[in-house]
Amino acid sequence: MKGRRHERRLRRRSIGLVTALATAVACGGGQTRLNLFSTSWEDDGGASIARVWQRVGSKPIPPSADVVIGIAGHADKMVGLPLGGGSKWTFAHPIETRPIVAGGVVVGSGGGEAFALDATTGQVIWRRSTGQIALLGAGDDGTVTVASFRAANSSGSVLLAIAHDGQIVRQIETGVPLGAPAVVDRLAFVPWDGQYISVVDLLNGDEMARVTLRDETSRAWTEEGSLWFGGVAFTRFDEHIRDASKGKASRATIKVPVLPGEPKLMRSANSPVMALADAQDKVKLYARPKATGDGVAIEDGRWYGTYFRLAMGFDASAGRLGWVHLNGSDFVGASAASGGIVLCDEQGKVTELDGKSGAVLSEQDLGEPVKACVVNVDARAATGSPTGAQTFEGQLAEAVLADDPQLVGIQKVLLRELAGTTDEAATKALVDLASDPRTSPELMPAARTALAARRTGARFMEAALARHYDFLKDVLRAPPVGPIAQALGAMKDRSAAPLLASHLFDPADTDDDVMRAAEALAVVAGPDELPAMRQFFGMYRATAADDNVAAAVVSVGRALLALDGAQGRTRIDTAAKDPMTVEYARDGLGELLAAPSQEPGDAGKKK
Amino acid sequence: MRALSASALALALTLPAAAAGASDERPVGAKTATAPPRSAPLPRDTIKRLKGSDPAQVKAALDDVRLAAKDGAPAVPAITEVLRAGLSPTLTQAAIETLADTESETASDVLAWYSRHRNVVLRRAAVQALGKTRGTVATKALRASLSDPDAAVRGTAATALGGMSARDAVDDLFIALDHKVAEAAASIGQLCAAQECDRLASELGRVPFDIVTSGLDQVLFRGGKDVSDDLKVKIIGRVRELGTGEANRFLREVQGKWLPAWSQRVKQAIDQAVMATSGSPGSGGAR
Repeated sequence: MKGRRHERRLRRRSIGLVTALATAVACGGGQTRLNLFSTSWEDDGGASIARVWQRVGSKPIPPSADVVIGIAGHADKMVGLPLGGGSKWTFAHPIETRPIVAGGVVVGSGGGEAFALDATTGQVIWRRSTGQIALLGAGDDGTVTVASFRAANSSGSVLLAIAHDGQIVRQIETGVPLGAPAVVDRLAFVPWDGQYISVVDLLNGDEMARVTLRDETSRAWTEEGSLWFGGVAFTRFDEHIRDASKGKASRATIKVPVLPGEPKLMRSANSPVMALADAQDKVKLYARPKATGDGVAIEDGRWYGTYFRLAMGFDASAGRLGWVHLNGSDFVGASAASGGIVLCDEQGKVTELDGKSGAVLSEQDLGEPVKACVVNVDARAATGSPTGAQTFEGQLAEAVLADDPQLVGIQKVLLRELAGTTDEAATKALVDLASDPRTSPELMPAARTALAARRTGARFMEAALARHYDFLKDVLRAPPVGPIAQALGAMKDRSAAPLLASHLFDPADTDDDVMRAAEALAVVAGPDELPAMRQFFGMYRATAADDNVAAAVVSVGRALLALDGAQGRTRIDTAAKDPMTVEYARDGLGELLAAPSQEPGDAGKKK
Repeated sequence: MRALSASALALALTLPAAAAGASDERPVGAKTATAPPRSAPLPRDTIKRLKGSDPAQVKAALDDVRLAAKDGAPAVPAITEVLRAGLSPTLTQAAIETLADTESETASDVLAWYSRHRNVVLRRAAVQALGKTRGTVATKALRASLSDPDAAVRGTAATALGGMSARDAVDDLFIALDHKVAEAAASIGQLCAAQECDRLASELGRVPFDIVTSGLDQVLFRGGKDVSDDLKVKIIGRVRELGTGEANRFLREVQGKWLPAWSQRVKQAIDQAVMATSGSPGSGGAR
């Protein structure tokens, strides 16, 4: 019974799709049902695709529009912002899938129809009723738009070729999952099944060539005067495409370090992208391929990433972070350009960043908050005078200090970067981070560890040590005494001694902090600290509540042995023999007295 | 009017602070009104036992000093010495409490040490003791303890500052009051000059009524040399303006404690205020 119901349901779905297509086809065009997208195809060694290259390789491919498209309102309005100048435009229409900029048009779908707008003016070029099928991708060569669709609740796909006069040139339905097509000289380049590109002649609907790619591929598009295929890498349609099945096509990819959220360079085009931006739009990678004399490279040797309201620039060869830019709101769309990146945020702000430094080159505005954003940059190069340039350390500091819980994942990565620099500004940022009560508990251990490892910026650490818990002054968090003490002790910073001594007596400091402060004092203390150390030793040698404080007693004992002459030795000797001295300290002090010589800090270390 | 009657004195001694009354008089002979605490003589070997290594002997010696109370003052240097050298937590607490009983200012220095100990029990004991040993060292330590992480330590420090007439601490006590250290109000009431007392009264409506009036109560019962009748009448007027049931109850309590020999002008203001607020909701009706 269950199986029969399922069969009936599938049949109904199929009928629904056919009905939708029948509606779409009713206005003209020939329906093609050839042996397209057949999986029984045998690799022809690149012969057919080489013929296509011969035919269109020398054809000029015009640049696509440099434009930002915002989806605004209740996903019922598009706002277009031509980046090269020109007026903003709006287009009111239900929008159910993410619009696509293809050539000079914007293709969208929703409300039971698909449409193409002039990307520069927002004027309708064509609109067709499609029923409930979802837009996957589109290409346009200036005369015809080729768009792929996925039927709702079905694995079937539809390829429509629509001339700019609105006539359907070709309609192809298939059971295989199609990706996002491109069109050059009335030839549709259609990715499918994650690995094939079929070339469909729109004049007769024949599959005139096919190529197998060795990378996961679901997209075809034109950019920088070339035709590209991609998914996880960029493959250029050039004379080497014939050897693609042997893995010898012109291709480039980016080396991505482990990043939180596992951002992707390209979203699979085998499934429709919903109109509203989601986490994948906010956490994403961007790069622009470029043809070189001997193949393909990544433009400017840089790729970019967004993580909510952070944008980052990476070196393409090593995958090393080069800059970070903190924005006021989450980025929901971007496009790598020559010389930089153009980003669009939830507030509708469009920011162009310098690829080298991350500094702001220009800012524009869509005029209203957006639910999603599509940025398309082709011919436009990011140029201009950067403003608000910061040092890399300053950028990192600003980013890790941002009070934004959703950034914690990337802040851990940035914190590692910050810890790797020697700049004093990094020390200051780490002190601030470890001192701030708003710092995420997920970030705090890493911040403290990084701070303890610092060997520069002593003045910032000393300034922090000068602060103490003070209820009446609303200082309700002690500074990160432990890691600072470790760093200053390692730096043998004697000027920190009085500050460290003062923290021996702050009841708001943790036991670990006190232990670390005492360890550092054992290294940096001088005669001026003797009164404080004698006081601490007396107060705690018999009242230390745990091993950390007892270890602090031993560390201070070590300093007293070194600095307080015979009086100090007598004090330690007496304490070591007194049953009232806590056991841990008694043992440690006994060892101190027995040891012929001590390395600084050894005596106080917790067992 | 020159002096309070015996019965008035007895009542005055039950009032919040060193109860005051007549507009120009403070209670006299208060210390003789009750018998001085009996103290036992300090055994001769007390100091030797204090410096010994046997914890039981040290404890016994501390007990002897406590029994001697103020007469145990000769043992204070020895106790401070052993505290500086270090004792177990139990003995440390006993030593701190013993120093408190001696009320010896020379103990304040070592008590100030322990007012910053990590053990909050020892900290509370030290702060309490500082309120008894007094002196500038104690005042400084107690003012610092107003910022302690522990609420009980802060409250004890505030109370101690009021009890030891630490006039310099009034500003700190106001900050403490702003930070919800309720005990600061009573101490401000004990220490405030006219302008400061008025400032305390102005906290009515902002700080909970019971807290502010714990301080105003102190002001109203201070002697006339400390606080003028004008100020007392002004304060009564401020409470009266509230017109609430709790204001009426407070005024009635003050009225009940106001002795006939004390300022008639203030009494008249109290009586009028009680009448004016008697109809307030929750006042319990006019008397």
